Amino acid sequence: MGKSQISNNIRKLRFLNDEMTQQQLAEKVGVTRQTIIAMEQEKYSPSLELAFRISLVFGVSLDEVFSYDPENTA
Amino acid sequence: MSHQEKNISASLVSFSLILVYYLIRMLGMLPIAELESSKLFRLWGIVILLGIVGTIIASIFTHIIAAIVHAIQTGEEDPKIDDTEDERDKLIDLRGTRVTYIVSSLGVALSMLAFVLGQPALVMFSLLIFFGLIAQVIGDISRLVLYRRGF
Repeated sequence: MGKSQISNNIRKLRFLNDEMTQQQLAEKVGVTRQTIIAMEQEKYSPSLELAFRISLVFGVSLDEVFSYDPENTA
Repeated sequence: MSHQEKNISASLVSFSLILVYYLIRMLGMLPIAELESSKLFRLWGIVILLGIVGTIIASIFTHIIAAIVHAIQTGEEDPKIDDTEDERDKLIDLRGTRVTYIVSSLGVALSMLAFVLGQPALVMFSLLIFFGLIAQVIGDISRLVLYRRGF
């Protein structure tokens, strides 16, 4: 399966937030660690609700976490 | 390997064993002349019951083994198994179910085709349960592939 058209800065934001672990982020947003890994590898695009929960955890706006590139075909 | 993957693996093993049991019993009933409705429908009952009981036992077994392994690894007396099911798990499950439905629909069509082509009704019933089991196994494999690939 190819990469998603939606890219994200989750890994970078985790490190900027006291080197938060994938497990800690997963617990804060209510998903499994495997889902965080899949999102960081851009193999899985989260639902809008999960995307908002992630941006709330980092205290930034949605477009600072996720960006959409229509040229990058999945 | 996540808890969901372990559950799917247990289900896969359980349904593969039931499929092997079914094939052995069916081959024992060949040639078709020995295929009696009472024997076949008894086998139907056994396979369906094994499917239900096998899935429950496999799920309990997976939970117990996971708890034991977790307790040994962490030394906790009361291990907590992370069996959270999130949106990705649900999507993977839906995709797996879709594969199961596609395979079982093809199986039903092939079984009907065998009947139309002049095979006895019992052959059609044998094929129906065979494709039902195959569909379950392929659905579980597709779920595992999706988990391994990320989505």
